[in-house]
Amino acid sequence: MRHSEMKVWLRGFWAVFEKDIKLELRARYAIHMLLLFALSALVVVAFAVGPSPLSAQVQAALLWMVILFAAAVGLGRAFISEEERGTILLLQLNVRPGAVYSGKLLVNFVLLLALNLVAVGAFALLLGAEVAWPGLLVLTLILGSIGLAGATTLLSALIARAAGGRGALLPVLLFPVLVPLLLAAVDATRSALLVAEGWTVAADALLTLLGFGGAVITAAVLLFEYIWLD
Amino acid sequence: MSEVINLRRYRHIRNGVLGWLTLVLLGAFLLRIPRIHILEHTARNLYFHVPMWFTLMAAALVSAYHSLRYLQSGDPIRDVRAREAARVGLVFGLLGLITGIVWARFTWYLGTSLWWNFDPKQSFVLIQLLIYGAYFVLRSAVEDPEKRGRVAAVYNLFACVTTPFLLYTLPRQMESLHPGAEGNPAFSDITHPIMRLVFYPAVIGFIGLFWVLYTQRVRLALLEARAVLLRKPMLEAEL
Repeated sequence: MRHSEMKVWLRGFWAVFEKDIKLELRARYAIHMLLLFALSALVVVAFAVGPSPLSAQVQAALLWMVILFAAAVGLGRAFISEEERGTILLLQLNVRPGAVYSGKLLVNFVLLLALNLVAVGAFALLLGAEVAWPGLLVLTLILGSIGLAGATTLLSALIARAAGGRGALLPVLLFPVLVPLLLAAVDATRSALLVAEGWTVAADALLTLLGFGGAVITAAVLLFEYIWLD
Repeated sequence: MSEVINLRRYRHIRNGVLGWLTLVLLGAFLLRIPRIHILEHTARNLYFHVPMWFTLMAAALVSAYHSLRYLQSGDPIRDVRAREAARVGLVFGLLGLITGIVWARFTWYLGTSLWWNFDPKQSFVLIQLLIYGAYFVLRSAVEDPEKRGRVAAVYNLFACVTTPFLLYTLPRQMESLHPGAEGNPAFSDITHPIMRLVFYPAVIGFIGLFWVLYTQRVRLALLEARAVLLRKPMLEAEL
């Protein structure tokens, strides 16, 4: 790509990102939904489980399931708001598809990071989780969020453009596709919780998360055009 | 119709497959098999259970290929082919899971509460089936046929990118019952030459059966589309 094309792409990408972040900061709908859903879900889980201690594997599994469900419920609106406001044509004309996808991807990624912060905090509070390797946990959450944001952004575009925004479809489409991410993330999180495990045990899982995130985003950038342009 | 499906070739292959599979079935039940520890005669299930896996993989490849070509060309027949390959593949995948569960249950799990082995291969098939299920749900949610085809094709291809990662992440939570796993003899050890005589033809036969069913369904879809087209002028004449 020539230098000027690159600049146009970056400008479009940044414009999409900025616009969505500003709208989000004004209305705060998505972020509130995400955080409250995660909080409520964790509270329900904690009360259902009771005070008895859980194994690290189960704790890791519960954390990621809550994050997954919260993402499916809270991030689905990225493209629906465009449909509702009739701004799709504007975006299609002015910004390249790859830049639109990347802008939305970054928005979702930022929202997910905020979600992770709250989820982990509530998780530690309610389930009494002791994190032996906090750096590892942070890295797992970041890498996991990359793949999660990538898949969610593409699939929410799919649903919004074609299925008339039937939001309930997103979990059905998302979960089978994200099983590898879930398994690797739970593995790495469990390693982060146990003193005996840690970075060496989690290395495989982290690499899988990285590879998965990369593959998902590459595939999504290639495929996004076919849904976006009519 | 003749441009899309070569009827003569289809009929030849169909007859060939039917004859071939009849021979396979006869061989599967009539030929002697070596005495295998624990499995005994249930080993004959090998001729049915494992080919299902090969057939599901073949179906997945066909479906993904046609999805890709549909995105490139927009030819609706490609979409029909992708859909029908997924549908027939789904059936074969289910059969593979069921034969596996029944086999494991009868051979090892009778008297226990276990049904699912948490074996990586088994879980892989289950997730692939879930993806196809989601594929059909997605298709039913979109009304415009062109959009439907495109959206479904994108989902199909996206899923193809993510499922190989399952091979890296599916853990073995219980001891795997599949050959080649820890503690089990490798596949080549337990397939005596006489078993291979039926096994490899069985794989070919079942993939052939998939092709026959899939081609029949594609033909059916095209005939239905043609019937709709033929009906239209009649309706307009009545008005």
